[in-house]
Amino acid sequence: MKNSLHVISRITVAICAIALTSAYFTPLWQILMWAPQYPEGLEMKIWINNLTGNVKIISALNHYIGMHTIEVSMFPEFKYMIYCVGVLILIGLLAALINKRWALLAFVIVLCSAGLALLIDFYMWGYEYGHNLNPDAPIKVPGMTYQPPVIGTKQLLNFTAFSGPDVGGWIFIVVVLTSFGALVAEQFFMKRKTI
Amino acid sequence: MKKIALFLGIAVMLFNCSPDKPKTQEEYPENNEVQSEPVPAANLMDPGKGIGSVKSVTLNTPLEQDRVKRGNAIYEMKCSACHKLNTDRLVGPGWNGITKRRRPEWIMNMVTNVDVMLDKDAEAQKLLELCLTRMPNQNVSIGDARDVLEFMRQNDGEK
Amino acid sequence: MKLNKIISTATALGVAAVLFSSCKPQGPQAVTTSGAAEKVYVAPGKYDEFYNIVSGGFNGQMSIYGLPSGRLFRIIPVFSVFPENGYGFSEESKAMLNTSHGFIPWDDLHHIALSQTNGEHDGRWAFCNANNTPRVGRIDMKTFRTVEILELPNSAGNHSSPFITENSEYVVAGTRFSVPLGENKDVPISSYKKNFTGTISLISVDPKDGNMKIAFQLLTPGIDFDLARAGKGPSHGWFFFSCYNTEQAHTLLEVNASQRDKDFILAVNWKKAEEYIKQGKGKKVSNLKYAHNSLDEKTGVATSEMLNEVLQLDIAELKDLAYFIPCPKSPHGCDTDPSGEYIVASGKLAATLPVFSFAKIQKAIADKTFDGDYSGIPIIKYEAALHGEVQKPGLGPLHTEFDGNGNAYTSFFVSSEIVKWEVKSLKVLDRVPTYYSIGHLSVPGGPTKKPYGKYVIAYNKITKDRYLPTGPELAQSAQLYSIDGDKMQLLLDFPTVGEPHYGEAIPASMIMPNTQKIYKIEENQHAYAAKGEKYTKVERKGNQVHVYMTAIRSHLTPDNIEGVKLGDEVYFHVTNLEQDWDVPHGFAIKAANTAELLIMPGETQTLKWKPQEVGVFPFYCTDFCSALHQEMQGYIRVSGASSNVPLTFSTGKVEAEPSGK
Repeated sequence: MKNSLHVISRITVAICAIALTSAYFTPLWQILMWAPQYPEGLEMKIWINNLTGNVKIISALNHYIGMHTIEVSMFPEFKYMIYCVGVLILIGLLAALINKRWALLAFVIVLCSAGLALLIDFYMWGYEYGHNLNPDAPIKVPGMTYQPPVIGTKQLLNFTAFSGPDVGGWIFIVVVLTSFGALVAEQFFMKRKTI
Repeated sequence: MKKIALFLGIAVMLFNCSPDKPKTQEEYPENNEVQSEPVPAANLMDPGKGIGSVKSVTLNTPLEQDRVKRGNAIYEMKCSACHKLNTDRLVGPGWNGITKRRRPEWIMNMVTNVDVMLDKDAEAQKLLELCLTRMPNQNVSIGDARDVLEFMRQNDGEK
Repeated sequence: MKLNKIISTATALGVAAVLFSSCKPQGPQAVTTSGAAEKVYVAPGKYDEFYNIVSGGFNGQMSIYGLPSGRLFRIIPVFSVFPENGYGFSEESKAMLNTSHGFIPWDDLHHIALSQTNGEHDGRWAFCNANNTPRVGRIDMKTFRTVEILELPNSAGNHSSPFITENSEYVVAGTRFSVPLGENKDVPISSYKKNFTGTISLISVDPKDGNMKIAFQLLTPGIDFDLARAGKGPSHGWFFFSCYNTEQAHTLLEVNASQRDKDFILAVNWKKAEEYIKQGKGKKVSNLKYAHNSLDEKTGVATSEMLNEVLQLDIAELKDLAYFIPCPKSPHGCDTDPSGEYIVASGKLAATLPVFSFAKIQKAIADKTFDGDYSGIPIIKYEAALHGEVQKPGLGPLHTEFDGNGNAYTSFFVSSEIVKWEVKSLKVLDRVPTYYSIGHLSVPGGPTKKPYGKYVIAYNKITKDRYLPTGPELAQSAQLYSIDGDKMQLLLDFPTVGEPHYGEAIPASMIMPNTQKIYKIEENQHAYAAKGEKYTKVERKGNQVHVYMTAIRSHLTPDNIEGVKLGDEVYFHVTNLEQDWDVPHGFAIKAANTAELLIMPGETQTLKWKPQEVGVFPFYCTDFCSALHQEMQGYIRVSGASSNVPLTFSTGKVEAEPSGK
């Protein structure tokens, strides 16, 4: 069968698509914060359609410097993320069903662009959240903005903030890398076949 | 806490183990003034006078009436809660006959230096065993103690 | 083969993920310093080097700790009742808590000021403020007892208090809340700008006996006074107050009082005020009502008198009396250095720490380098008064104390640290974290002309994980740091009671030799004292029954009392006949709705008891006094209202026939 997938690739893609369902029951992203008076740290977990952790405490602290209260309603993404991930899963399963290399390629491209879009979206939210400060804030530090890092660690006044993937995020990354690996492996299988 | 220590201290004394105050395990000589103070040899030679700054008392006859009067007032304020004027023991022994039993120096040292007396004087310790309550330091000056002594003499029928 | 590859790739990815996630930064680690234990260890039988006299905050009391051990020795009740020793419950002490609003059993004690002579501690008195119902209290450092409480009229929120001048001429009391004063106080809250006034009371302290009196009151614009310090040396004669809410907001101050880039330090020339008073410029206001309570040390009885007059000066009307100095964002601490030349103001929301120069302030006043006025009071140009700013000192500066070597120590609430900097050069020298979110800090002798130095103590606002947890409510946390070397060194964490705000430390040698050990029974002038068992008695005055009782190891006299009837009020006046140090007796009676008495040697205290039912009620000594303490007990018989049981009392009397029915 021309352009059809190796059985291993096919199973891998199917597993990847199913693995994506973890996004519905594991947190995708985490923001951790420490300050001298918060040695145990504060955390915020971002889920597919929700926020958990010390969101209220973080908002209460941030209001001193004029940052807006973090609320689920702040993120329109939460309304359609569940469908987006559903579409991703569907495409993955379809790719396995179609069993063609182009389908796998399509899956990988959609997956990568979805990840990238999420990161850009997160950056844009962070920029807005960190820069658009209430002019009536009690504490105004000249020239200071409070954009959280996209990935990694950053010092924001007395807080050390860390941002990075959580369980669901890691699974997503593994899925991206694995399906990309499958794509690369397909090239290898194809060469072997043609020889 | 201090009081428990005091209680323990008394308990220890009852069992005749050691008349010393409870010691801390480590030695801090400068804080143990009372204990490290050597007992003057004179007192050891002359146990009937007790331990304290009163070495000798001159008694006059007839009694000094102004001293008797003051002594009576001090008795009522600081002593009468525990000592009766007859021979009955209340908390401490009754005072009747005391000036016949004890030397005047012993009485005055007991009144003015009671803590050391109860720790080191054998006669005072015998009284503690009998009465079970440590005689309190009533902050009586030497002069006041002399007045009390004069009052005791009157109580014992001297003129 | 290929499967292996995939598995190994997945494994590698997994490992990478774990590695990456372990790169997450850890929370700040507590610094432990070696050799710290030795420096704070006070061996059994040894004494601490300093007394640390600390406010109890919302417990309304003052606490006494030892330094460097951090051990708590005593809690002195001041503005709150204290059932532990009967303060506020006994007939003698009740009057101490009297106010123009009646008896008030609680307050919020924030700051301590130890009396000074020539700008140095003299170890005589400790003053403290009641923040809620405005009052100032005085504690005698010989007896560690509250001996005087003065209520402040025209005041609300006595926070800017009780800071003291270098010869204890005055203790100051500035209002945290401005309120409407005068005849018409029933005004809309929204008319704040028009109707609300602040006041600063200067309370004179009698150099002989410490008695307090409101010398005069300054009327100020309706803003909030936060903290203050008196000048010293060259600046003696001046007082400096930090002010916030110059926006004059009356709601949501968190936002509305934080809008201006600069609030003010108010510099007050109190010597000038004295001149105005001498010239008769003080306006007498006499429709007031405020309590002055004092303890008569001869009788041990507190009395309360109601006063109704103060002299007032309006700082906007009188010239050369007061000046505003702009200060970044809501200044909190306002501290003068030992030389008296520098005034450190901490804008708690500001990014820099301004230091003002007294000489420059004087020059600016002389040259009239003003920047307009605020409510009629000249504003000195910021730059003209400024010695310099400490750059990037930390976040949320609150308070500053000083050592004797030209260094300042500032507490930073937000960044939770103490920063050491040099006053002259404004250079930051060192910083240490505090656990957590420090409020006030204290260097022994820090507010005087000659600080003793050696330590800085951090009084923190957040405790969290420092001690074994005790449910939602935790002990407060303090830390002791050594400041002997170039680097501050954490020595000790110690829990504190209440919520300590400010505290002062004073060498033990200045207090210890003067401590009073007993009250001399000869000098006891209490009207109901029984100075000897001969004088014990029970007297009936209408429905009042007065028991003149004595306590000595180990009996109460009388210990059998009969003839009390329902409807009677029984007053137990208990005199402790002991004359030895550390032999208090306690007194408690079943069903008393007050508290126990704790009677020091030679003292008389009174417990009022109103029996509610017929029966025989026991009373006993509550303080373990001797081997026979448990035997120190007695009975009182309560008969029906119409009973004719005669009033009798005795100790040690055994009757063949019981009296009564």
